[in-house]
Amino acid sequence: MREAVEIAIGGVLAGSVFALVAVGFTLVYSVMGVPNLAQGAFVVLGALTMYSLETHLRWPLLAAVPGAAVVAALVGGATERLVIRPARRRLPTSGMLILMVGLLTLFEGASLVIWGSQPYSIPAFSGERPAAIAGIRIPTQGFWILGATAASVVLLWYILARTVFGKALRACAENPVAASLMGVPVSRMTLFAFAAGAALGAIGGEVLGPITSIEFDTGRFFTNSGFIAFALGGMGSFFGAVVGGVGLGLVQQLTAGYISSLFSNTLTLVLLLAVLIWRPGGLLGGGGVRREDVREFIGASALPAYRLTGRAAWSLAILGAGIVAVLPALLGGTGLTGSLVITGILFIGVLGLDLLMGYTGQVSLGHAGFMAVGGYTAAILATRLGVAPLVATGAGIALSLAVALVLSLVTARLRGLYLALATLAFGLLVDSVTVGLTGVTGGPSGLVGIPSFSLGGYAFASATSTYYLVWGVAGALVIVLANLARSGYGRALRATRADQTAARALGIRVPRYKVSVFLISAALAALAGSLYAFHFHFLSPEMVSTSRSLEMITMLVLGGEGTLVGPLIGVALLTLLPAAVQPLATYKTLAEGLVLVLIMVYLPAGIFGGGLSGLQRLASRITHLSPHAGTASSG
Amino acid sequence: MPGSIALEARGLYKSFGGVLAIADVSFTVRQGSLTAAIGPNGAGKTTLFNLVTNLYPPDAGSASCFGIDLIGRAPDAVATLGLVRTFQTARAFPGMTVLENVLVGAHLRVRAKPWLQALWLRAVRDEERAIRRQAEALLEVVGLADRRDDAAISLPLGAQKLLEVIRALMARPRLLLLDEPAAGLNDVETAELARLLLAVRAAGVTLMVVEHNMSLVMGIADDIIVLDLGRVIATGAPAAVQADPRVIEAYLGREAEIA
Ligand SMILES: Nc1ncnc2c1ncn2[C@@H]1O[C@H](COP(=O)(O)OP(=O)(O)OP(=O)(O)O)[C@@H](O)[C@H]1O
Ligand SMILES: [Mg+2]
Repeated sequence: MREAVEIAIGGVLAGSVFALVAVGFTLVYSVMGVPNLAQGAFVVLGALTMYSLETHLRWPLLAAVPGAAVVAALVGGATERLVIRPARRRLPTSGMLILMVGLLTLFEGASLVIWGSQPYSIPAFSGERPAAIAGIRIPTQGFWILGATAASVVLLWYILARTVFGKALRACAENPVAASLMGVPVSRMTLFAFAAGAALGAIGGEVLGPITSIEFDTGRFFTNSGFIAFALGGMGSFFGAVVGGVGLGLVQQLTAGYISSLFSNTLTLVLLLAVLIWRPGGLLGGGGVRREDVREFIGASALPAYRLTGRAAWSLAILGAGIVAVLPALLGGTGLTGSLVITGILFIGVLGLDLLMGYTGQVSLGHAGFMAVGGYTAAILATRLGVAPLVATGAGIALSLAVALVLSLVTARLRGLYLALATLAFGLLVDSVTVGLTGVTGGPSGLVGIPSFSLGGYAFASATSTYYLVWGVAGALVIVLANLARSGYGRALRATRADQTAARALGIRVPRYKVSVFLISAALAALAGSLYAFHFHFLSPEMVSTSRSLEMITMLVLGGEGTLVGPLIGVALLTLLPAAVQPLATYKTLAEGLVLVLIMVYLPAGIFGGGLSGLQRLASRITHLSPHAGTASSG
Repeated sequence: MPGSIALEARGLYKSFGGVLAIADVSFTVRQGSLTAAIGPNGAGKTTLFNLVTNLYPPDAGSASCFGIDLIGRAPDAVATLGLVRTFQTARAFPGMTVLENVLVGAHLRVRAKPWLQALWLRAVRDEERAIRRQAEALLEVVGLADRRDDAAISLPLGAQKLLEVIRALMARPRLLLLDEPAAGLNDVETAELARLLLAVRAAGVTLMVVEHNMSLVMGIADDIIVLDLGRVIATGAPAAVQADPRVIEAYLGREAEIA
């Protein structure tokens, strides 16, 4: 009994911090309609900044606690000003979500550069000796956590419910257009939401720091948990966020304490998936209805209208094939051939993602989950049961297809934001299973002794032979997908992305196209996962984790969505640069985040897409100049 | 067979929250006719289109197209029956060129299966070439041929509405519903649109058009349905409807009645 109470208290304490993060989510979501996925990073920022203020600058505790919260608020505000505001006018919701992913990566990378990769433990505010009440031991830090959470929530409630400012903020949450027409400074509200959300997260990190360990990428964990609390609470309800947070903490600690932490993680993620799918309005509230005949906002600049066609496409294809064919000979068996193999494998996965995101506009934040399903299935079959690699790969793809089919059918009703979040939950679920099912997957240390890929007795054992295999497959896929893209199927996908309602009015069976394209992309991801495992002779959870999903999105967006070949630029840059310049490894995460943010804000069509439409504009200016100059002067 | 009914609605009701947008609406559109639906702003014209194409379900009532029940069918299944619509706000597909937009309209007529498309077989190439030719011919008709490779949303709004009309025509509909196709068009373009609509009707396509431009409506419509506050207040030939006192009242407003 005493143990149960102690575990429950631990749950409430962790849950309080989830609640703070979830309230931060709610604030930003209310004014912007997009959850700030970087929210968890502020927990880390708060805790580590406070640590630095105390240990390096020797600030007293009472100054360091508000000091770090102010730093976080400033960073949050600056993010809103410098990144969110310019992006908001140009990006649709899906783009904003990717931008937030970029911010999360950026903050993680910055923390890695500033604080390194070691875990920090922060001294407790009032000594390490727990208090004992009726025989139950409670860490004194617990009172700080509860006090800080209660004070923050009450203060926020007071601002929202009792002040003119709060009233304006709520008006803006209900209807930003109407609010701005009535003179509410909407942009100031967004600024406040970001700054206050950041400060809330930071306070959570500061008070929780002493009873947990914090390192540069712990933010992900808080983003996930805070987001789950926010979704359970009904996306937009402050009360729901608090209840969701505390409830989540309790359930997690109790199941982890009495069953296993694998079960606990899995249960929470399954719960999240279930809520997103069946009760998108949250466990407490109900969702609103929206006008179907009104068009969703589409950031036009994010959509490339120009594509390579005819002779230009053929020239590029022949040039590309030529380069791919001679490259290994030029490199002469250096380590770079291995990097090019990885480039090719990831390109196969990103191709599917491009069809899904770039062409159809469906955001998947958990695509590496399918790499994991395919890769682990193939690897386990080939290693433990001696199944031929080709057959094992086929089995991996088949299982991945089955999973994708179930996932896409249950999420069929979900639109934009919800689908993205459901795929995120799926990816996290796969992460926790690959780490936790040690007996099957080898756990965190990975699966070893995977054979090389082989075909009819020929083993692709060398880097060079694998190179030709991988690039042969990638080339064939590019041709097949390009053919699909330029005919009826591709047009239906692009129409779906551009305007679902208008597409359906022309007879396009949008749900069916969404499912089929989801299946294609899952199959390609599974193929990439298997090739990955056979190439490395090794597969570990972090090779196919949610970080990988997010990296694939960065590659896609960097190269240019909806162009098939453009993403290759992104894949190559992010794979080859770190491999070529080893000392930069510490800066890799920071650079990836920064690149993703910059691209989303300034070049949403990506390097290839942006370059193409730039050339197109140039060409049309040149052709328009001469004849039109004549008409203008004569007219 | 001429004389039969293209679209029939019976006792349709729809309310949004407290607003009764459509109340007990029944009407028929004769096959081969050009029927106009008119009425003041907020009369429920767009809602009527949305109900018939099943963007959302009615609270009560039924609708059928060439005798086939429409209610409960997905919007894309409605299009499969030959009923295609356009929208009040121009909805050119962003991210696609003008020509590609028109090609999307042919979606239901593409016969080649996706796996054949992926291999770009001869049958696929021939089919693509054929619909491209048709699309280019239609672009010629509305004077957009020289902008075919421009981004569709770079067109002026009026041109985007014309683009939407020909995109719908690419589907070879039997019944075409147009929501305010002349909005945003100048006089020359409106005249062009009138010619296009008459040609479409002459080709045997039934048309139902929501329009505020009275001279256009009176010039080309065979039948007129007048809606006000969600109810049908008059139906008939243009001249008869124009003279109907209830229609005049609806358009002039109710102040006259109060005075
Ligand atoms: N999805 C919706 N949610 C709430 N109210 C709606 C919705 N659709 C229509 N309405 C309301 O129903 C009424 C009829 O609207 P509708 O758009 O059908 O009118 P309309 O005749 O097309 O007007 P207009 O000439 O301005 O286009 C209006 O009061 C409108 O505000
Ligand atoms: Mg209307």
